[in-house]
Amino acid sequence: MTVENLIPVADAIPVSWGWLYFFLILTFVLHLLFMNVMLGSAIMAFVSDLRKTDAWLSRDISKKLPYTIAFTVNLGVAPFLFLQVLYGQFIYVSSVLMAVYWLSVIGLLILLYYSAYGYAFRFDKMPGARTFFIGLTAILGLVVAFMFTNNMTLMLVPESWQGYFADRSGTMLNLGDPTLWPRYLHFVVASVALGGLFQALLAKLRKTIPEREKRISQGMQWFSYATVAQIIIGFWFLITLPREIMFSFMGGAGLNTAIFILGLAGAVLALVFGFTRRVWPAVVTTFVTVVFMAIVRDLVRTAFLKPYFQLSDLTLVPQYSPMIVFLIALVLGLGLVAYMLNLAAKCKQEAK
Amino acid sequence: MNYPIWELTILGGGFWIALVAVVHVYVAHFAVGGGLFLVLCEVKGYRENSQPILDYTRKHTKFFLLLTMVFGGLTGVGIWFTISLLSPAATSVLIHNFVFGWATEWVFFVGEIVALFVYFYTFGKMARQKHLLIGWIYFICAWMSLFIITGIIDFMLTPGAWLQNGSFWSGFFNPTFWPSVFFRTFIALVFASLFAIVTAAFLKDDEVRQKMVRYAVKLMPLPFILMLASAFWYLYAIPAETRTLMLKVSPEMSTYINGFLTLSPVIFLAVLAMSIRLPRGLQQSAALFLLFLGLLYMGAFEFTREGARRPYLVHGHMYSNSIRVADAVSINQRGVLKSAKWTRFEAITPENRVEAGKDIFQLKCSSCHSIGGVMNDILPLTAKFNSVFGMDSMLNGLGKINNYMPQFFGIRAEREALAAYIVEGLHGQKAPQGVDYKPKAPAYEIPPHKADDEYVLLAWNNLGMHCISDSDPYWILLPPANDLYAQLVRKGERPQIVTEGVTLHYRVEKGFENPSKHVRFWEFAESLLGKKLPLNSGVSGNPVTDGEMELNEKLKAFEATLVPVVPYPDDGSFNPYPLFTVEAVDKKTGKILATGRFVAPTSTEMGCKNCHGGEWRVAGVAGFTDETSADVLRVHDRINGTDLLKKARAGKPLLCQSCHADPVLGTKGQQGIPNFPAAMHGWHANYLTDRGTDACFKCHPASATGPTGCLRGVHAGLNLDCTSCHGTLADHALSLLKYEKEHGKDVDRLMRHLEPKVVASVEEVKGRIPWINEPDCLNCHVDFQKPASKDVNGFNTWTAGPGELFRLRTDNMGLMCESCHGSTHANYPATNMYGQERDNIPPMQYQANNLPIGSEMNCRLCHTKDMDMSVHHPNMLHKFRNRQLMRVKN
Repeated sequence: MTVENLIPVADAIPVSWGWLYFFLILTFVLHLLFMNVMLGSAIMAFVSDLRKTDAWLSRDISKKLPYTIAFTVNLGVAPFLFLQVLYGQFIYVSSVLMAVYWLSVIGLLILLYYSAYGYAFRFDKMPGARTFFIGLTAILGLVVAFMFTNNMTLMLVPESWQGYFADRSGTMLNLGDPTLWPRYLHFVVASVALGGLFQALLAKLRKTIPEREKRISQGMQWFSYATVAQIIIGFWFLITLPREIMFSFMGGAGLNTAIFILGLAGAVLALVFGFTRRVWPAVVTTFVTVVFMAIVRDLVRTAFLKPYFQLSDLTLVPQYSPMIVFLIALVLGLGLVAYMLNLAAKCKQEAK
Repeated sequence: MNYPIWELTILGGGFWIALVAVVHVYVAHFAVGGGLFLVLCEVKGYRENSQPILDYTRKHTKFFLLLTMVFGGLTGVGIWFTISLLSPAATSVLIHNFVFGWATEWVFFVGEIVALFVYFYTFGKMARQKHLLIGWIYFICAWMSLFIITGIIDFMLTPGAWLQNGSFWSGFFNPTFWPSVFFRTFIALVFASLFAIVTAAFLKDDEVRQKMVRYAVKLMPLPFILMLASAFWYLYAIPAETRTLMLKVSPEMSTYINGFLTLSPVIFLAVLAMSIRLPRGLQQSAALFLLFLGLLYMGAFEFTREGARRPYLVHGHMYSNSIRVADAVSINQRGVLKSAKWTRFEAITPENRVEAGKDIFQLKCSSCHSIGGVMNDILPLTAKFNSVFGMDSMLNGLGKINNYMPQFFGIRAEREALAAYIVEGLHGQKAPQGVDYKPKAPAYEIPPHKADDEYVLLAWNNLGMHCISDSDPYWILLPPANDLYAQLVRKGERPQIVTEGVTLHYRVEKGFENPSKHVRFWEFAESLLGKKLPLNSGVSGNPVTDGEMELNEKLKAFEATLVPVVPYPDDGSFNPYPLFTVEAVDKKTGKILATGRFVAPTSTEMGCKNCHGGEWRVAGVAGFTDETSADVLRVHDRINGTDLLKKARAGKPLLCQSCHADPVLGTKGQQGIPNFPAAMHGWHANYLTDRGTDACFKCHPASATGPTGCLRGVHAGLNLDCTSCHGTLADHALSLLKYEKEHGKDVDRLMRHLEPKVVASVEEVKGRIPWINEPDCLNCHVDFQKPASKDVNGFNTWTAGPGELFRLRTDNMGLMCESCHGSTHANYPATNMYGQERDNIPPMQYQANNLPIGSEMNCRLCHTKDMDMSVHHPNMLHKFRNRQLMRVKN
């Protein structure tokens, strides 16, 4: 059987793929930001607890972690939905191939989540256990991220799917893929950078917090060093890509190269702002970098799947009304969220 | 067919879905109802100005947050992960059709999370009215999630107009949408009480504890009653056909439905009982137990709802095994292996049969059946099949009559490979070695006859392919009973059929005189037939041996009806052809005028065990073991809701025809139930399609390679077979069913998948009454001539009544057809595997060959001179046509 024959037939989509693609990138960027902050913060808190320094940092993180996990999960749902609509015939297959690991993600996330709550609710009551809680959260976060990297790369390489016929127990990982480790590290190190930036930003926003300057500089330090590493790992990732794909980002294809260079420029700028401790410019350039790099990530996906599939191949059976309802709900929902957050913020101020 | 299968054995069959879904759905309903409870509790706290109540509310909120947001939220994602691993194709249908439904639901999920965080972290800090408003926003967002997901879940059960128009809105606002929304809303409120009782029971302050438990109890009754009302509405919103399937046909659905019905009053009363003041520890244990009952309750409902969809994942669109309804025809043509993307094999070969069968199992069965696990374990379900044939036949009929499972879609070889995998691969049964059964030919004597003898005694049995079922302790469909006939002819230029002045006696071959030693019929005769019978006497009172025949004036023949002979001689062997000897005695002188001898076929080679399990009971070739007999009843009970097995085990076995009318036994049966031959053939034809005579041979003792070989007559010698006269099993069954249908019997489920082979359509099949309307010899032998060709078929033109039946018909001179031609299925010249000429004793006796009496223009036998007119029937004066079959006495 040929590789092409293994790829399932895709179902029809209800709106032009461009819409779905837009929602995919948009919600993925949001998910990524929260995920980075969550994982990065957890790693920072764990390191800080291991070193038994900066209890204020880990206490601070302990309070924020449950929110960031909740929103990471929540914001992960949306891009995963749009991913399935656009690439279902790939992601369902790769998920089945690594089914045992993929399903375990749910159990691991539940553990991770409760462990983070353990960390938050028992921070002062059980100082002995708290390193265990945060360590578990951080390590599980790293494991889950590894599963995601496996699935997101396995879905791109139908050539590897034949391994299914040797073992159908759902225990295949994409370990033979040279992009796997650099890609994984690229996301993990980005998380550390964003975790640092998030701490700096929080301190920046809270004018009256004790040791504000120290917090800012420490956060920016995490951010800057991680970003240096990130750029190096990024190049490693780049050179592990198949030659043709790699070259498409180095002048081979106009759009790919332009977006990659914009992303790279953003990263370099962010690095400059990082070392010069300019929080807001660093936040803005980092955000821009994340957006461009998320697009680059998608261009890589497109390039990998090019021999088999492109989004314009999908059959369109138009039904736009449900999308309009969604957009209305989204606007109203965001309004409601803003209203509630506003109430909460005011209440916090009143409490002070 | 589109996606790879995650190969699970013990944890297969949807185990993960069941596990993740039930716990998630329980918590998810709590997440909705509990939201309202929080607000109501907070209002109560404010109204009563009670800090303990507010403290409890806050504590309950923390529990609520940890349970619903963490566990509930993640297991929700977990269901999605799970279904996409186990049924990716169906998941893809849900995702692609409802992407913006899911996206909208996600917006409300965001709202829920923000609201719940704000509610919890600002408890006691925010202005009361605003805080309550946040609570209300949470509840509304949670309920909207329920609203949207309900639309998509019930789309799977009742897709409604979506099947035709593909519209999101038709699928979403489907026929069961509204009742389901109401049902889920109310059950969510009931569950809110269950959870609240638990958190309240854990309060330390005794007074507050009782107060809050009672408050939670108080909130339960109204939603509970409304929930039951909407459950009823829900049930009746399901299309009638689906509902019938769910309530009456699906075998294990009753467990879930009864579970729900039983738990309803239990939970209702148990919640009320919680208002009784109890010690803290006891109250806590009781509350936790109640919470567990709630989980069972949810499980019973969800299993019922999921089960109601059978045999589909998306009703009418995609089967449980992810095969699209639209693809079924093409899979039947191309085969599973060529249609599936993820299989190792392209085609079945003798070498890959079991392994390819494994792939097919994974593709077709594993979505619902585990191997050795808790979910619909395939092992016990298939344990009784000790042959690939039986398993294959089961698969052949799957989903046809009882359509709670999908049919097997694929080609024949694939179905057999699947059967081989189950029987040989999973159960480790050895492929059967072909049994080489060579019966011994017992000796017999041909009574003497001399040309100058005064009489010719023609004697025969009039049942040709005769079976009895010695499954006596459980049921029978035919008691031991052979009908013996004789006509006595006085020779002369004008021979006479003698009916007066003589008595005819019969006796059975030595060794067969004591059938009660070999079958348990007489033990159970009273239960089976409603009367006690003397040992070794038959239903009409005739003994097995040394009996006297009675004159049937109309037929001018002597007969002994229902003589109870069985195929078991005293030596422990199997011989389905016992001989009877008849003597005509002069009443006045006592002198024996003539002696005749003939075979009375009686076989217990009735292959129920081929599919119903068990082995042959006697000599390894025939007879019913209890295992087989019991399984037949077990299946009948399961399908028809009877309790025949229980009755049989209590010593009350029944005659099948006591409910199913049957002309051959003269039973009227019960009204509305199809007659016995229609039910038997109609049912089994669904499991034995396209097998030619093999389908006949598995139940009737006709196979030339079997231990009976009952198809012995001239037609068998000419290589005609069962289907030449009766059509294939499908034709045969349809002719019987059609009559029943035309007479108001509900036999549609038996008929709907049967396709005739001899005629082009079901419309062309002519309905018939069994045993009365049979294929007429003259269909092919038009005017007693040679058939037009070998391809003529006796099917579909029926004898008009009993008088036209070969076995009861007479010629122009009053001789019965069988007196000269021998009995049905053994017409002269016959060949019997228990001795070549065993069936031809009368012609051998009277004319020293195996041909019909009087053939080769042997008119002299009775007329004492040659004749030149075909007076008995047209075209009788000629040389025997098929001379290769002629044998002469040596």
